[in-house]
Amino acid sequence: MMDKSIRVENSTKNIHAELRHLADSISQIIKGIRVAQEPIADSRNKVPQATEQLERVTQQTAMATHRVLDMVEAITGRDGEIETQMKELRRVLPSTYFRNNSRVKRIVERIGVNVSANQNDAYAIMDALQFQDITSQQVDHAISLLEQVENRLKDVMVGLQLDVSAESDVKRKERAYDPNAHFSSNSNEQSEVDKLLHNLTKEKQNN
Amino acid sequence: MASLKILAVDDSPTMRRIIVNTLKRAGYDDVTEASDGKDALAKMKVEQFNFVITDWNMPEMDGLTFVSQVRSLDEFKDVPILMVTTRSVKDDIIEAMKAGVNNYIVKPFTPETLGEKIGQVLKSVGRS
Repeated sequence: MMDKSIRVENSTKNIHAELRHLADSISQIIKGIRVAQEPIADSRNKVPQATEQLERVTQQTAMATHRVLDMVEAITGRDGEIETQMKELRRVLPSTYFRNNSRVKRIVERIGVNVSANQNDAYAIMDALQFQDITSQQVDHAISLLEQVENRLKDVMVGLQLDVSAESDVKRKERAYDPNAHFSSNSNEQSEVDKLLHNLTKEKQNN
Repeated sequence: MASLKILAVDDSPTMRRIIVNTLKRAGYDDVTEASDGKDALAKMKVEQFNFVITDWNMPEMDGLTFVSQVRSLDEFKDVPILMVTTRSVKDDIIEAMKAGVNNYIVKPFTPETLGEKIGQVLKSVGRS
């Protein structure tokens, strides 16, 4: 009888010790959560700042691109005018003029070649500016990934019963982008597309 | 040179400007711009275009939906459509062709490619 009561007392002591240990652990976990709350909330609050910065990169790149386009259009416009003026010059001068003035003829021809080269270079600059559309799609993709991170951090905070009242100030806009957009100067890409189009057209004709 | 009234659809103002300039250089002066599929459809309902160049990824209405809608309307079902997009995955191209595009260009494109493709499309629809 005596042995039994000692065993019960020992068990009670053990249970008591375990419960105290459990309470200490829970207390440590709560402290840990409190410590974690700040960086999680901080990270979540920083996402809108990061997306805003990325938006600004796109806007500033677009502005710079349009500035370059303005200049390219001005250059090609002036080159066009020079070509028209040279045609006019040929029209108003007597037809024998260039035959009798070979040096002037060479100079005028040289001007024509340079104008044409300037125009080609200006259009090459314009073609290269397609990068802006591609990088803006890449930035949009990065922003969407950041917004997903923000949502997941919010879910974590809700799970931990932390304060999620601070909403993002940045109004989310609809983003339409190709997640695989890339700038490739490789003409093989278009050739591969053309091969595929050719095969698809052939298949369609055979069916 | 065929006289074309072209509708250029792209949400990027930069791309629209590049396309318009490239078309003008190739001799196509009559170009109207639209910023997405919805805008393009609205413009097609008030003006008659005989060639459409469209992007794929656009807000409001994407290029694929736009093409499908155009093809579903009797008055536009034969309008030649050239898609100009960054999407180069095989399945995307197949999907675009099924939706009804006449040809497909991957960005970034060269002026030569744009000119050639317009020519090919016009030839395929008997308008060269």
